[in-house]
Amino acid sequence: MFPTNHKTIFVLDHTPYFGISSDNPIDFDVSKSRGPGYVPLPSVCKSLWTCSVEAAVEYCRIVWDLFPEGKLVRFVVSDSAAHILNTWAIAQQNLTHVLNGLCLVGPVRRGAGGDVVGLCAAIEALAEPSPTQAAQRPTDMLFQNRGRIICITSARDDDSIRSLAEIALNTLIPQNKKASTVQPPTTTDASTSTQSLVVHYCHLVIINVTPEKADTRVNNQPVIEMGGGLMGVEVIVCRASALANLLGRLVLPHYRLVTTTVTGIPMKEEQNASSSANYDVEIIHSAEAHAGLRALQTAAESTESVVLRWWTPRGAEGGAGGCNGPLWRVTPADVASRPSACLVNFLLNGRSVTLEVPRKGGGRSASHVLAAQGGELWIGALGGRTPYEDPPALSEGAGGRVTDYRIKEFGALMQQNKLLPLRGPGSNTKSRARLQRHTTYWPLTISSTLIFNLGSVIEPLTRLVVQETLTEDEVDSCRGVLLSLLGMESRHEFPTSQLPSNFRGKSSGRRDEQWRQVWGELEALIRAHSASPAHRALLRTLLECRSHNNHNTEGESSRASVIRATTDSPLSPVGAGNGNSSSDVWAPRNVLDTLLGAPRPPRRPDFAGRMVAGSRVATLYQHLQQDVETPH
Amino acid sequence: MPTVILLDVSLSMSRPVSTTDTTESHTRFTIASAAINTFLDYLCIHAKLEYVALVTFSSVYEVAVPFTREFDNIRVKLPQLEEGDKTCIEAALHGVNHLILNEWGYQTPVQIILITDGSCGVGAIGRNRIIQALPLPPTYPAKIHILPVVSPHDPCLQHAMPLYQKIVDLASNTVNNSNVNLIRGAIYCPDQLSVPGVGVAMTRLCEQHYQEFWCTLKCGQLETRVQIFPAPHPAQQEGLAASYTLSNQLHVIGFLQQQDLGTPIAISKHLVIPQAQVGTNSSTRENYGSKTPTKEGSSNEGTSTDEDNISDPSKVPNFCVLLHGALKVEGMAAIVQLGSDWWGTVSAWCEVSRARRSCLLLSILRPGASAAPWLGALDQLGPADETSVSTETFPVRSWRSYSGGGSGCAWARPHALLADVQKVLRHARKLPDKTQHLYKELNRLRRAAISLGFSELLTCVGSALERECTVLPSSAPPECALQLAHAAAALRDPRTALDIKHTLQPLAANFTVTSMSH
Repeated sequence: MFPTNHKTIFVLDHTPYFGISSDNPIDFDVSKSRGPGYVPLPSVCKSLWTCSVEAAVEYCRIVWDLFPEGKLVRFVVSDSAAHILNTWAIAQQNLTHVLNGLCLVGPVRRGAGGDVVGLCAAIEALAEPSPTQAAQRPTDMLFQNRGRIICITSARDDDSIRSLAEIALNTLIPQNKKASTVQPPTTTDASTSTQSLVVHYCHLVIINVTPEKADTRVNNQPVIEMGGGLMGVEVIVCRASALANLLGRLVLPHYRLVTTTVTGIPMKEEQNASSSANYDVEIIHSAEAHAGLRALQTAAESTESVVLRWWTPRGAEGGAGGCNGPLWRVTPADVASRPSACLVNFLLNGRSVTLEVPRKGGGRSASHVLAAQGGELWIGALGGRTPYEDPPALSEGAGGRVTDYRIKEFGALMQQNKLLPLRGPGSNTKSRARLQRHTTYWPLTISSTLIFNLGSVIEPLTRLVVQETLTEDEVDSCRGVLLSLLGMESRHEFPTSQLPSNFRGKSSGRRDEQWRQVWGELEALIRAHSASPAHRALLRTLLECRSHNNHNTEGESSRASVIRATTDSPLSPVGAGNGNSSSDVWAPRNVLDTLLGAPRPPRRPDFAGRMVAGSRVATLYQHLQQDVETPH
Repeated sequence: MPTVILLDVSLSMSRPVSTTDTTESHTRFTIASAAINTFLDYLCIHAKLEYVALVTFSSVYEVAVPFTREFDNIRVKLPQLEEGDKTCIEAALHGVNHLILNEWGYQTPVQIILITDGSCGVGAIGRNRIIQALPLPPTYPAKIHILPVVSPHDPCLQHAMPLYQKIVDLASNTVNNSNVNLIRGAIYCPDQLSVPGVGVAMTRLCEQHYQEFWCTLKCGQLETRVQIFPAPHPAQQEGLAASYTLSNQLHVIGFLQQQDLGTPIAISKHLVIPQAQVGTNSSTRENYGSKTPTKEGSSNEGTSTDEDNISDPSKVPNFCVLLHGALKVEGMAAIVQLGSDWWGTVSAWCEVSRARRSCLLLSILRPGASAAPWLGALDQLGPADETSVSTETFPVRSWRSYSGGGSGCAWARPHALLADVQKVLRHARKLPDKTQHLYKELNRLRRAAISLGFSELLTCVGSALERECTVLPSSAPPECALQLAHAAAALRDPRTALDIKHTLQPLAANFTVTSMSH
């Protein structure tokens, strides 16, 4: 279940032989001679060691650029002892750590020793669990601990290479035996010691490096299985100067990568900023990004770099948003070249670019997008229809014809519930709890609420009450709101100016009812938040206000009687307006219904059927059927 | 998932089917047509948004009806199809591959329903040759179902079964798109060779593979029932055996500005279609009443409108519509939790070509907390606290240095090494102005050379600096020569040159004094 490329170990030969020159001179005097007396510099040759280090480091750069997690690389430097430069720990999986380790190792020194110690150490390292492996149970049937060892060395002939591979296998077999026998008894203290895992497969790549002109008696050898499929050994012979290219090519199949050449990128000339020329940049990314292009290609074509043409962006482009599918990380093949740097900077500055398949016959077809996000470069494939295209109109679906959603208010709620990168666990839970609080009492439409339409009159209360806790001051300002509302009511005012026009028009005759709705909503709102003591204190205040408010209406009995005299029909029961007798004229309701339902007008008696039914659902026309049946 | 109905119109499909019922005469083809109608009937009810294409094949294939949501086009076309010659499945699959790649690309999962007559038309050797020639697995994620219009006891079917099994197996081995885990297709053999028999097999197929996906979208206490279209597939993560299945409650955990969100690594995208609140008035009150206790009160204004609302779901307020409007107005997206260790985003989306028709789109992200590295770990997204000040903002910079912007020592290609050395020499020629730059570059060069064990380079740069010293014009201030000589000597000093902890410093003395002492 863990692919072979989950763990890779480089074994670098640090024996005296690697101190010799690669015989590939680099001349620094590229510029024209600067006149007489200018002594030319001697050219410089890298040592075999320098060549192997820079090639291995480049391999790592590509891996870590494209796979920030899950693909681990370790370094073992081998001379008279094995120097292990890093562990599987995530913190040590970066170039800085490795380069620092290489600094401490230093250049090749005189002394004895070979690569065998390093190879053995590498095989032991394969048995160490990576952090992801340690998090899982190795007893799982699907658990496969595989890895790859890339050993850069220099051997005399094929026999020495073969014996190297045999040593590796002879280290691996007893080690596996030990790991598989030790496991069962150590299950109890498995957590305390770093238990070693059985290595299920090891891909050993031996790269035999020679200076430019030296003869070698080692031959290339394709992968052969050893130890019954336990190990696959591959031998590659390479000149030191070509080592970086070789590893740059090997990394592609190891991680299922491919290259794309972005062609025709217009750039200013380095020396002459007024003219521009077209450059090519080669980039590396997952092979999956080319799946669409490969579909109609042969196997031979698919090993070549795909050439895609730069499509000069016009204005702001959609970026990677136009891709329907996944995105893959991208890294330049030659990180140090100027065109690569230009392309990278162009993208990192937030621009994106479309790539097209070059066609001879004209006509353009966009195939990919390159864009940067979060300081990394990405490629995404374009094209194809989507199964969700041409969606049904929301306005024809459920809720689509309601026009008075509280969109602005929900926008404000979203702003209050913006997410930020926090540290530590439980952040998601915290966020959900907060949303829960903020939506406890949240009418969807404008017409279904009054209090949220009252604006500044009520605003501090609705804003503060959703908080988890309230301070003394906040409770006071909420109280202030309630009292000012009470004041308004007693003055027979209603903050109508705040209301949408459709409320305002109807409001004048129904002020009492509106006030009842306001108090009812307020109670529901505060009750829904009455978790903290401060909230409960606020609720008590509200209930006092409400009772006071009811008392008020009764206190103005003279006024009420005037209204009754003018509005009640002669059939109205006497004393219907008396609030105290409400239990007589209203069917009993449970607390929930009381809370949820409309406040009952104090004057009207309840429907007789409901009074008979009590807390059950009232049946309408219950005698109707009887009446129909009796005549028969 | 878009569906291709791959219908066999070879001559053998026109064989009559013997029935006890003499009033109707059927051929395999008419039975197949009836099955297709059953399929379309099912889609009309359960998956109206599905795209379906009808491809007929014999020895050649033909796209009879291209991908459409107008299922009637297919119904109308069925009786008009012309019969062909012989069954040739591999040619048909080639044609389907071509059609799908042209239309949907290689990222959209597709279903193919192969309706044939249960005989591969060749002997055992020919059958194996067909198996060899199958253009499978396809480069796009797909599952193939096979519906043979054949009596279950027909010996032809036994002979063709290995071929069918191979087709179904190969189709699910898609090389591409390792994140999506499609349930494999199957062979649906009818119990008897008749219209109802084949219809039952087709209905079984529909019920297993064309289930609509319903779930509840929750935002705190606000919630609504939604359909996710196309139905999502379980996802998988490399290196883990567990597969991720979408939970039937999607919890909004919070919101982000669209530009902060960017484009996370999505494995699929789906429409979020709000559904009417089912049930009667009382259940409506259950869902809504607690949130809108005044609903009763406000509806007192006119009971007639209230009744309208119940009969017409488009007039009942729905949270989805509100969410869509607010997301659009604010330019934000919601982050939703899809299951444990799995996230998605919901945003307002509209097609470029139809800017006015906008809808809610759910992007299902790659499982795991790292689907959008610039947001940090997704499980650590939390609310902006009222009290504490958040230290970080988006985008979260990754802790590792990206080589694209970094200053590595990629000297594997000679031009990179040359460029670095030339840079040092350029500074050396512009002393004393560039003294600081010279030493900065020298130290960078040294650091890289030490880690690569490239001491030869330092010796060489040392001599290059000395050479610059000799060609200094006479007008140059004495400081230049002194600095160059100092730097060259430092690069060759055996005690310090290769010590990584040592940093080369410019000669900092008062130059008039030093020059006198020399």
